[in-house]
Amino acid sequence: MSGPRRLDWDEGSPERLYVLTGGRSGSTAREPLDLVTLIVSRSAPDPGLQPEHAAIVRMCEYPLSVAEISAYLALPASVVMVLLSDLLSQRRVEARPPIPAASLPDAVLLEAVMHGLRKL
Amino acid sequence: MVRVGSPPDPPRPAAGVAWLLPAVFSLACSVAAVVMVDADVRVPLGVGLAVATVAVAAACAEASRRGRRIRGLRAQRDAAVAEQHSQRDAEAAALRRRLAAQEAALLQLTEEMLPKTILRLQQGESAREIVHELGGSPDISPEFAAAQRTVLRSVAEAVEAEEGMRDSAQRAFVNIARRVQAIVHQQATDLREMEERHGATPDVFGDLLRLDHGTALIGRLADSIAVLGGARPGRQWQNNVALYSVLRGAISRITDYPRVELASVAEVAVVGSSVEPLIHALAELLDNATRYSPPKTLVRVTASEVQSGVAIEIEDGGIGLAEEARRRVERLLEEASAGLDLTDLGESPRLGLAVVGRLAQQQGFRVSLRPSAYGGVRAILIVPTELLTSAPISVVTGAAPGLDALPAARTRTLSSGTTRGAASPKDDEPMERTPNGLPQRRRRTSAGPPRLASVPPSPRTPAGTGPATASAPAGQRGTDTADAPEPGLWLAAFQDAVSGESPGSGTADSRGQHPDSPPQNTPAKEGER
Repeated sequence: MSGPRRLDWDEGSPERLYVLTGGRSGSTAREPLDLVTLIVSRSAPDPGLQPEHAAIVRMCEYPLSVAEISAYLALPASVVMVLLSDLLSQRRVEARPPIPAASLPDAVLLEAVMHGLRKL
Repeated sequence: MVRVGSPPDPPRPAAGVAWLLPAVFSLACSVAAVVMVDADVRVPLGVGLAVATVAVAAACAEASRRGRRIRGLRAQRDAAVAEQHSQRDAEAAALRRRLAAQEAALLQLTEEMLPKTILRLQQGESAREIVHELGGSPDISPEFAAAQRTVLRSVAEAVEAEEGMRDSAQRAFVNIARRVQAIVHQQATDLREMEERHGATPDVFGDLLRLDHGTALIGRLADSIAVLGGARPGRQWQNNVALYSVLRGAISRITDYPRVELASVAEVAVVGSSVEPLIHALAELLDNATRYSPPKTLVRVTASEVQSGVAIEIEDGGIGLAEEARRRVERLLEEASAGLDLTDLGESPRLGLAVVGRLAQQQGFRVSLRPSAYGGVRAILIVPTELLTSAPISVVTGAAPGLDALPAARTRTLSSGTTRGAASPKDDEPMERTPNGLPQRRRRTSAGPPRLASVPPSPRTPAGTGPATASAPAGQRGTDTADAPEPGLWLAAFQDAVSGESPGSGTADSRGQHPDSPPQNTPAKEGER
């Protein structure tokens, strides 16, 4: 994910990542988050939110995966998960686990239905 | 025979005739005796008495002569003594004059020459030429002048040697601090890369965050040493940095960072050259605040615009400072501003305040400590206007180039079909674009979070995330000064809205009539409508 970096004295931001997360490194949400969990915001961002939180709320008007949020914010996934668990506990966003493959109907069954429909 | 013993000294007739009285008296007695005695003894008696009378006269004459001699000698002696006295008085006066001159010279040496010498030495002149230039007073003897010069020279040389030692000690300090800073910077960069790499494993990531924090603390210590050694703190920032990022940067450098609560922060940016000193000074003040307040209490940080710049307030809930202690600390800050000796540094709290004082002096910050409403201390640091610029517009875009472009584009297409887009009114309007084609967030719309713009511009975006990556900073720099509304305008708008003078779209017009609002804000107003 990280490209080659310039090693001079003028790069980056003065903030370190632990300040964004308040020192936490992992998700504390009840439902486990992973990279493919879809996040969607429940409301417009409040003015009082931390900028990263507000950015997540704003970009998740349409569902986005954790991995995508991480990429857009250019923050490591763990940081995003911490931020998301804050937002989840404040009920500002919702997490939707991806539909597990097993719960989808069998491909053979779908094909059978399709053929049946065509024969109608 | 009576006349024989007449005084030879005419100026003293009274004294001269006095010696005749016993002679005359004895002569009279002799004559009376000779007349009264019988005739047969008259001759021998007369002879005897005559001899006796002559002897008396001679004795008297001799006594008188000696008396005169004594008087003469006494007068002579008195004259000699008087002469001696006057001579001695003259000598004493001369000595007194010399003494006064020496005293004056000594005073001049201590009160004028020595301070001047030390001052000039500190300005870098050599001891030899200073001593050569400073001449002595003409009243004093050459020996004294030579002694004065010797004293001056030895003092000057001692001070010069001391200054030299101090300089080299400071240089050594700064040199070591620079090396530590370089290592810390390298390590921070490496840690950042590792954090990216292990971002998906919370355990490793948490450990990396802890290491990162420790590294930042070491970096701050190295910066402090560099500042006390008379150098700048570590890094140089070429771009302006949003005040919000500066504050979080300061928070990230203290031990107890989770206790710091960042409340409202003015939307301004700090010019690049002052970013690092400001971060460092704030970090030291925050460190003091967290160190001297109970471990469970919060430290509140706000930054608001004031007439002379931006006032950053750091309030803690500690026990506070007594008035006397507060004055002492402020004096410490001022003394540090006047210049500070590395050898004066004792415990670490003094190190922090000394650093703050030094940085404040260099950068023109004003620092004061006041009692806080929470009972603790409220440290106020005022950043002067010269060090501030308007906050870069759409700094979020700088942090994440895809952030504005993608969701905005999607909400635009979505808003026709779904109701979700109605949640934020701005989605109904087309996105403004910078000349580079980048999406540009409008500031201070009703739904937008005001502080969203304070997210720092950051080059931590991975290369290749989107085509916007390369051109984003250029676009930001190009637009941030032109379109930035005057600070304080929003407050006027808010007050107008509260007082109900001009509801709705009339706000912009009433703002135009506001005495404080300059006319160059028209584009911003139109953008808002």
